[in-house]
Amino acid sequence: MKQKKSGLVAFEALAVVLFVAFLFPFLIVLVNAAKAPFEITQNPLSFPTEWGKILANIGTIWTSSNVRYGSSFLSSVLITSLSLIFLNLLSSQAAWVLVRTKTKLSSGIFILFVAAMVIPFQIVMFPLLTWFREIANVTGIRLLRSYAGIIVAYIGFGMSQSIFMFHGFIKSIPLELEEAAIIDGCKPWETFYKIIFPILKPIHATVLVLNGIWIWNDYLLPLLVLGKGNRIMTIPLAVSNFAGAYVKQWDLIMTAILMAMIPIVVLFLFAQKYIIKGMVAGSIK
Amino acid sequence: MKKAKHPAIFWIFLLPVLFAFSLVIVVPFLLGVWYSFTNWSATARLGETLRFIGLENYAKILKDPSFAYSFLLTVVYTIFNMVAINVASFSLAMLVTRSLKGKNVYRAGFFVPNLIGGLILGYVWQFVFNNAVPSIGTALGLASWAQAENLVLGKSVSALIALVIVSTWQYAGYIMVIYVAAIENIPQELIEAAQIDGASPLRRLFAITLPMTRQAFTITLFLTLVNSFKQFDVNVSLTAGGPATMFAGQPILGTQLLALNIYNQGFRSNDMAGGQARAVVFFLVLTLVSIIQVSINKKREIEL
Amino acid sequence: MKKLLLAIAVAVIGTAAFAQGITLAQGKPEIDAVLKAYAEAWSTANKIPVTIKSVGGSSGTDLGTQLKADLAAGDMPDIFGINGLEDYKEWAALVADLSGEGWVKNTSVAFKVDGKVFGFPVAVEGWGMAYNADMLKKVGVDPKTLVNYAGYKAAFEKLDKAKATLGIKSVVSMAAAIDMGWVTAHHNFNSLLSNGLKYGDLSVVNSLLAGKVDAKRLSEYADWVELLFKYADKAVLTTGNYDSQVGAFATGQAAFLHQGNWTDPNMTQANATFKMAFAPHGSMAAKTDGIFVAAPSFYVINKNSKSIAAAKKFLNDLVYTEAGNKYMVVDAGMIPAFSNVKLNPTGQLSKSVQEYAASGKIYSWSQYYFTGDFRDKTLAPIYNQFATGSITKKQFVDLMTKAFVSLKK
Repeated sequence: MKQKKSGLVAFEALAVVLFVAFLFPFLIVLVNAAKAPFEITQNPLSFPTEWGKILANIGTIWTSSNVRYGSSFLSSVLITSLSLIFLNLLSSQAAWVLVRTKTKLSSGIFILFVAAMVIPFQIVMFPLLTWFREIANVTGIRLLRSYAGIIVAYIGFGMSQSIFMFHGFIKSIPLELEEAAIIDGCKPWETFYKIIFPILKPIHATVLVLNGIWIWNDYLLPLLVLGKGNRIMTIPLAVSNFAGAYVKQWDLIMTAILMAMIPIVVLFLFAQKYIIKGMVAGSIK
Repeated sequence: MKKAKHPAIFWIFLLPVLFAFSLVIVVPFLLGVWYSFTNWSATARLGETLRFIGLENYAKILKDPSFAYSFLLTVVYTIFNMVAINVASFSLAMLVTRSLKGKNVYRAGFFVPNLIGGLILGYVWQFVFNNAVPSIGTALGLASWAQAENLVLGKSVSALIALVIVSTWQYAGYIMVIYVAAIENIPQELIEAAQIDGASPLRRLFAITLPMTRQAFTITLFLTLVNSFKQFDVNVSLTAGGPATMFAGQPILGTQLLALNIYNQGFRSNDMAGGQARAVVFFLVLTLVSIIQVSINKKREIEL
Repeated sequence: MKKLLLAIAVAVIGTAAFAQGITLAQGKPEIDAVLKAYAEAWSTANKIPVTIKSVGGSSGTDLGTQLKADLAAGDMPDIFGINGLEDYKEWAALVADLSGEGWVKNTSVAFKVDGKVFGFPVAVEGWGMAYNADMLKKVGVDPKTLVNYAGYKAAFEKLDKAKATLGIKSVVSMAAAIDMGWVTAHHNFNSLLSNGLKYGDLSVVNSLLAGKVDAKRLSEYADWVELLFKYADKAVLTTGNYDSQVGAFATGQAAFLHQGNWTDPNMTQANATFKMAFAPHGSMAAKTDGIFVAAPSFYVINKNSKSIAAAKKFLNDLVYTEAGNKYMVVDAGMIPAFSNVKLNPTGQLSKSVQEYAASGKIYSWSQYYFTGDFRDKTLAPIYNQFATGSITKKQFVDLMTKAFVSLKK
């Protein structure tokens, strides 16, 4: 794509300016992560006197028995990855059958799923608790305060948006591919997993990233399903132990933000390249 | 799939999500709606049993001016937010789909705000508006920036604008990802043909780029509509619903969006059933608006 | 990688210790660390596991919300905190009667309903107008004159003229933003309710609850609020949070602070070494020489708890063991609510509170007779509007009157 050189330079400059503007609040976070709490409110923009404090704060957070960062990190990783894997598998296969089956029931179910995206969390959050508790009373299956419960909850809450996204993209995949596979003797599940699933790579990546961020950062659902101060804690729950009293311990909050962000940034940088590769491959086809 | 109307594979593939859906969404939702017709408190009040009270909770909503205000405010906020986010993210998407050197870095940068949870984000921005902005003003010699009367979060109108700014900052990157996917899906040949024909960039935008990304717009408008309407985290942490303003002769919280109104009713006023009723109303309205939005968009898509 | 994760998962779930212990949920995150330390020591000594959950502040939830979630999840703690009558009413069906406990005879501020004791007082707290004694001395303001409106008016004017010499931004550090509504609609509100009245006198409270407003008292109170707002730093007043409000006083940018003795740890953190003490509120034309002192929060025991005996012992030990006393007073910096505890906190403001209490110059905390809903939803916005200058004093009085009249059932 040929473009005037000056035009490109201008755009590059604009991009840099916007980039800095977007990341400016993070700069503030970074700068204040090394200051004492009252210093922060009195002198928000000044550079800290000892940058080494960040390391000290990171150490405090990592070793704090309050936060149990190490185990919270592992819990977050476990919950997020399992939820993501299930969400992608189950949502994509569901979206495929919904797209390919052109019946009223099929569209009805799809609309139902999409409508669920509109439900405000407040309506369901407490009833969810009482319901899970009833299940435990009647069947003995412990959904509250367990990995199973929170993962099922994430699948339930995330599937609407995921199916929504897969649905849109699957519609644009030509039917000939599947018909060819059927002629070749593929069973339906083979058709999906061997032919369709790989084509969905770009959307897989997008859905993974979008769901991943939401689940990794989510506070309210773990607060209710896992509870505060119990055996299993996710990072947001753990970090909330720092937003203490009325005194916001900015130094620790800022450091905790940094520590929570890094895994996600890494994930995104990886997935992003993959998304682009997938996009390019998709458009050439 | 020309065999049975609903082949086995249909149900096998759907069953897991249907199960999770019923378990986590359907049952709690129905329970929640049921609670809105009772005197449910979620606490242990003496001598009170759970009983059906009909539409009493709903009638109370009509008597509360703050709900009407929150409703109107949320509509206004949603409109501004949708415009701001979509204009910003589309522009960003256009920018990063050019052959810029730092393309991937910029994309990541614009996306990064979405990586922080809403609560913390709101506190960071509260700090920016209350402390950093005045400091910058003083440093630049603009004394008015540091004056208390000019603090952004000190007045309802500017606080609402601040809310829009913060949520745009948070979501633009997320929505940008969707637009980027759509833009990069536009066949190169079309664009090159238009360039050869001598079409100006603006003409290309309107004749090719926008129409070819219509489907993305349906999705993004739906997402931004629903997310704006449901805004809670940033509302709580940035403004806590304040500052106060007068409405219908009563001082009420000036930047309290619907979700916060519902939350406060349930948890601050200890009226859980009342909160549920408001949530049900909220859901009905949002469903209606979404249906309207999506059908309008779908019609436009088909016109393509 | 998946296998490793699976193994970790199994290990974590498997080692879940379901020992019979006690859980305590409380709403003061600032003492979380020291409470957990004490609980661990007590736990080892008594061989009963203790879990402490602290909720509150800016973490997005407060104790009330957490408790509701716990109840719904079937996970109610054994001991939890409540703040007065309205809170108690929410949990009344679950709260155990503690009238027979040993510590009841050692305190005068236990939470009682109909003569029965339900709540263990966590600490005695007090608040008034904290002042920077060094600054006042410099300018020649005698703290003893700070007992009524006239005295404060004169003092504020003097201090305001000397702002440059003192290096302060404003005379008073006061907060009235919506998320600091507890400073105005909970605490400052008490000036209207109980300033100048005998301790425990609820006459003003009761007439307001019945919708009857004493116009003179309200008018004098409005003058006081106006005075405070006038001499406060507008930025802190309209948008400041706790940190900026307390920070302004602690770093010497204001001469007065409208907060309580719980700010002592913040003063230490900010290295505020100047001499400070409390002065009464000047909300009346007549002289009032006491500050507001009471036990605002209480621990109650869940009567459905499986470890009531252990819970009772935990509370008991706070009062009667050396370690418990040390935790309460020295580590958590709280003023003990029990007469047998001989330790004294070291914070200047806490010492000031104790002086007032010792000489009987105290007024009640009566705001809890009004629902949180009323104070947060109805009153706080009125104060906020007044603070931002959106309404006049007359409108303030009118709106407050209207609010109280609406309470009439």
